[in-house]
Order: sequence, then structure tokens, then C-alpha cells
Amino acid sequence: MLELKNIHKAFGKNEVLKGVDLKVNKGDVVAILGPSGSGKTTLLRTITFLEKADQGEIVLKDLNLDVQKATKKDITKLRKKTAFVFQNYGLFLNKTALQNVMEGLTIARKVPRAEAEKRAKEALDKVGLSDRYDYYPSQLSGGQQQRVGIARAIAVNPDVILFDEPTSALDPELVSGILDIIRSLAKEGSTMVVVTHEMAFAQDVATHVVFMDGGVIVEEGSSHEFFSHPKEERTKQFFSRFISTDNYII
Amino acid sequence: MRLNTEFMKETFWLALEGVPITLKITIIALFISIILGFILALVEIHRVRVATPIITAYVSLIRGTPQVLQILIVYSLIPSLLNAIVQKMEINFSVWDIEPIVYAYIVFTINTTALLTETFRSALLSIDKLQMEAALSVGLTPFWANVRIIFPQAFEAALPNICTTTVNLIKGTSLAFMMSVKEVTAIAKTQASYGYNFIESYLDIFVIYLILCLLVQGIFAIIEKQAQAHRKIVRSV
Repeated sequence: MLELKNIHKAFGKNEVLKGVDLKVNKGDVVAILGPSGSGKTTLLRTITFLEKADQGEIVLKDLNLDVQKATKKDITKLRKKTAFVFQNYGLFLNKTALQNVMEGLTIARKVPRAEAEKRAKEALDKVGLSDRYDYYPSQLSGGQQQRVGIARAIAVNPDVILFDEPTSALDPELVSGILDIIRSLAKEGSTMVVVTHEMAFAQDVATHVVFMDGGVIVEEGSSHEFFSHPKEERTKQFFSRFISTDNYII
Repeated sequence: MRLNTEFMKETFWLALEGVPITLKITIIALFISIILGFILALVEIHRVRVATPIITAYVSLIRGTPQVLQILIVYSLIPSLLNAIVQKMEINFSVWDIEPIVYAYIVFTINTTALLTETFRSALLSIDKLQMEAALSVGLTPFWANVRIIFPQAFEAALPNICTTTVNLIKGTSLAFMMSVKEVTAIAKTQASYGYNFIESYLDIFVIYLILCLLVQGIFAIIEKQAQAHRKIVRSV
């Protein structure tokens, strides 16, 4: 359903992505793992042109975009089919939780106000914020803000939700709450691509795991085979520290 | 030293009659400058090929010269220039009939626009890049992302500086007497010159300007409070 072909991206002389291919099927939960600087966040951002790739193709359902030729219209169209959850929440600071969720419905997708409000409330209820509709981001804790971020993503019924390290900015106590929400979305069949450092979560929830290093995909496979029998030396090396501390991963 | 209180009272009321002119110059200059300054700030930020360097130069020029000089130059240069043009093109129009206040509008607008361009530029740059990315990600076009998310936040960030600029503008209009505009200072000076009661006159308008500026600050405090509704901290029980 979502396919990336030969994505290249360089920042100046620093080549961050060196030709990445990725295929995501409907209902997949793809976890992208890898050390810092491996290009995983950049890859995620190129999908919706938050970072414009230098070269490559992005296919989402019937939309087939050559990165170099994509027009502003194409890009907006692509963005309306996707949703993005940011590491630092990225909530609109001048809008309440409810308005944050409604914005993409009323303004971007021309959904009538009443219906938009209903859908936005449903989304907020789902992430457990039914008592925080009228709170501004500054009045919410980090965990609550990220819940609004997720509500904003699911409210628009996207074909795929992209998560960029959704728990990295949260203190450990709040991480599990966010991961539980993502887990329940996975159970409902949402298609998601998650850049994460949470190994246990990736093993538990992801259907497909991608390991990146140095701007390329080093290894990928189903969650089970990936964690039990990593093939590449680099992957084994990366996981060794998790395997030694968390016995159950083996 | 004795103050002529009778004269003070009289002049105070007379000078008050200049307040509408002072406010007229302030409001017109401010209104145009806010719109123009915002547009220029946008152009400056988006690095438009020819326009941006021109704006940068304009802002530096205005900020780098005394306002008194700007007034003197505009007031002596523009009429002569216009007159030359009018005569050359043989248009039947008397440049010397233009009301002096028009030049006041021009000078203060040119000046305030430069200041507000800087204000808006810094305000726009102060908005976290993530706000734009999030807006685009929910499917807004860049236009709507700006209108709905970026501009309101930038405007709010700019409010304290707009207030400062407005207060400075009001005080600056006191120089309009140099263009023989009959605003507060001009009236006070004229009254004083009859009997050399300058101290009394100046004390009068000292109070008038103080009141005007306090009022403006009060108004802006209210606007800021409205605009910053989202910053108030609700204590959850």
C-alpha cells in the first residue's frame, strides 16, 4: 500500500539516505530501528515531504509520486492520506486539544463543523482525554500532549500513521501509556510506521522490523525472525546489549 | 520661580484640542504600518531575489537616521520634488495646497513601517518550525498553515513590541509641529510663546502625553490578555 523506492537524501555533503526501499502492506506495523544518525527519522520525514528527498519514488495507494516531479498539489494530497505523530508532539500552541484535532478535518478536509467536532471528540475519548477538550497544550502534561497528537492523527482516518519516536520526549512513567494506545491501534488494524528505540515494544507490536544504519536498510524481516535470528553482523552487534539485559527477548 | 497656574489650566484644555490630531496621525500611521510591515517582513524572510535586499536596506536606513532628520527631509524634499514634477508635466495642481498633516502621515508611516518590519520578522522567526510541519502534516496547504497557525502565533509574539512602537509613535508625533501640524506640542508651543510660559506649557503636555501613553499601554495589556488565553495556567483540582 505504501512503497518507497530508492530514496536518496543528502544534507549538503552528508548523505543521509543512500537509496532506501521500503514496502508497507495494509495493516502492517513497521518498526524502524537503528542507532542515532542512521537516517531513520529522515526516512520517515521524506515520506510526507517534510524533508524533500533528492531522488526516489513514493507510492501510496493510487498516488504515485516521483519525488523530483511532485507538485505542491500532489504533496498536499499525499499528506491528507497520512498522519504524522511527532517526537515533541507538535501541537498547535494557539489551539485547544479539540481544535488541534479538528483543524485537519474542517480546514484541510472540509468536513462540516458538527461532524468534525464529533469525530474529534471520539478520537480524544479514545486516547483517554474526554475531560481535556478545552485545554491548551500549555495546560497539558507531555503524555497528554502526545495523546492529543495521536488523536489528531487517527481522527482523519489516514491510510498510514507515521510515528517519529513518539515516546522519546516522555518520562518513563508515561511511555507505557502511549505505547498501549499504539498497541490498541495496531490491534484494530491501523497501518503504522514507527521509528522507535523501544525494543520490547517493537518486538511485541511490530509485524515487520527494519534495521537501518548508515543511511541504508541493513536488515529487515518479520518481528519474530528478526529478534530471534538476526542475520547481519551489524544487527547482532546492535542487539547484543538488549539481549544481554532482557533475557526474554532471546 | 512661580508657575502661572491660570495659564497652565487654560493651555491644558487648549492643548487637549490637539489630541485628535495626534491620535489621527498615530492611528493612520500605525494602521498602514502594521499591514505594510507584516508584508515586508514576509518578503524579507522568504528571501525574494530583488525585494529582500531593498527592504533590508530600507529598514537599516530608517533605523540609522534620526527621526527629526527624516521629518525635515520629507517635509522639504517631497513638496519641491512634487512641484517640479507637476510643473514639468503641466498638471494644474498646486502642491503648496497639500495639508501639512499629509506629510506627517507619510513620515511617520515610513518610520513605523521600518520598525514593525523588524518586529514582525523577529516574531515570525520565533515560531518553532515544528508548528509549520505539524500544520502541513494534518493536511493544511502552506497558505492555510500560515493563516491558521503561524500568523496568529507570530502576531501574539509581536504584540509587546507593537505596543512599544505605538507608544514611541505617539511621542514621536510631537515632532509634527516642525511640519506646522497643529497637534498637542504645536499648540502648547504657540501658547507659550505669547508670554514666554514655556515651563507651564511643557508641563501641561508632559501630562497629556503621559496619559495617552498609559491609555495605549492599558489597551494593549487587554489585547495581550485576550490573545494569550492559551497561556493561562488552569489549576486542575
